[in-house]
Amino acid sequence: MPARRRTAALLLAAGLVVVGAGATGLVLTRHSEVPQAGTLQVLPAPTGPIEAAAPQGTAEVAQPVSLTIPAIGVRTSLVHLGLTSSGALQVPPTTAVAGWYTGSPRPGSIGSAVIAGHIDSYRGPGVFYRLSDLKRGDRVYVRRADGTLAVFEVTEVQMYAKDHFPTAAVYGPTPNAELRLITCGGTFDYTTRSYLSNTVVYATQVT
Amino acid sequence: MRFTRFVRRVILLAVLPLLLFAIPAAASTSAVSAASKTTGTGWIRLAHLSPNTPAVDVYLYSFGDSSAQIVLHHVAYGDVAPYQQVAAGDYTVAMRAAGATASSAPVLSASVDVVAGHAYTVAGLGPESGLRLQVLDDQLTTPPGKALVRIIQASLKQNVVSVTWGGTTLNGNLAFGSVTSYQTVSPGTASLVVTGNGASTLASIPLAAGTVHTLVVLDGAKGLQVDNLLDAAGSGTDPSGGPATGFGGMAPRAPSSPLPWLMAIGAGLLLALAGGRRLRRVPAARS
Repeated sequence: MPARRRTAALLLAAGLVVVGAGATGLVLTRHSEVPQAGTLQVLPAPTGPIEAAAPQGTAEVAQPVSLTIPAIGVRTSLVHLGLTSSGALQVPPTTAVAGWYTGSPRPGSIGSAVIAGHIDSYRGPGVFYRLSDLKRGDRVYVRRADGTLAVFEVTEVQMYAKDHFPTAAVYGPTPNAELRLITCGGTFDYTTRSYLSNTVVYATQVT
Repeated sequence: MRFTRFVRRVILLAVLPLLLFAIPAAASTSAVSAASKTTGTGWIRLAHLSPNTPAVDVYLYSFGDSSAQIVLHHVAYGDVAPYQQVAAGDYTVAMRAAGATASSAPVLSASVDVVAGHAYTVAGLGPESGLRLQVLDDQLTTPPGKALVRIIQASLKQNVVSVTWGGTTLNGNLAFGSVTSYQTVSPGTASLVVTGNGASTLASIPLAAGTVHTLVVLDGAKGLQVDNLLDAAGSGTDPSGGPATGFGGMAPRAPSSPLPWLMAIGAGLLLALAGGRRLRRVPAARS
């Protein structure tokens, strides 16, 4: 077999290998698998003394200590969140717990209490991974330091682009005891390593 | 010749997957839908602030519906019911003497147009002889870092009062039955002094940032009494924007640019074509 013919055959083979590698790479990058979250465990509703909504907000309610959302299997203690130096809401130090913003009203007193939690960590689901699965009418329970339970009912679930976040609707005053549960959602921007949207669940205290 | 056909087939097989995957990738460009309009509800709060009017039953009717949506029994002077969340629309508030049948003619009634996202106080104000139902628009937003406060003067015994909070005069000459508009104040806890002709009262009143208050001046068992109603409360300081609550571990992988792969495929095709051509030109050696 002449050397030139061998070279040509090699060239053809090499070309085909490169084409194959390119096609494989293309296919794989289009269809990389997302890690799957575990199965959903629906929790029983917590029990305990239920504090009626304070008549006119003058009665002090105790600080919130834990949060249970049976419909999406959330049961977590609540840490305290403040603001970052840039004025943004602090986020919980781990993705496994949610936190109450101490600058917002206490859950169950008049006003919009704010609770935030992570949707995911670098490798798996966070405490609020299924927050956007909540439906109108789902119950949310906040246990307070004195053992009383504030019961809320979901009224709305919304997703907002971060650059159009409705600060007034989410953090602004309300005339009744409400709750805002916030996490991330939407598209993840791999260059800034952040989600481009927020999921906000609105809930109202039921008595 | 056979080689050419072979090369063509190979090229076709290499290109086909590109077409198959390029189409769905282009179609799956995601867009976040704009927030839909909120639930379409507002709030109504009913109050009895007429000192010499006996207790009443207060009825709230959705316009055109003869059965009451809410009935509050035996509402006495100084009582302010909590806000009731109601669907936006027209309502009628009717007051009847406590214990009167629901079918009896109301002593007084007023209509309220509830706009979604707004709150209203419907108060019986004035003396019994001139009792009126006044619909007050309650504010639900504060300037950043500030508190809002308004005063309802419902003391008949001290029919003109002056009100100061932390040394600042909120109103120096407020007549019985009148309601001030909301005033913006710097938040804090300070003493509220209400002074009438023959009596005055002093109370320590906290007005926190992001809260809206109505101070009701009432005739107490002796002298004046002040009720501090919390109309609405939000965060003292609104966080800027939404929190960064995710690290992307569960995010769907955004498709990276297919360009490098397409270029590799292109280069490979050129190589293979060049090789194929050369093979055709160089005759196979016969043994």
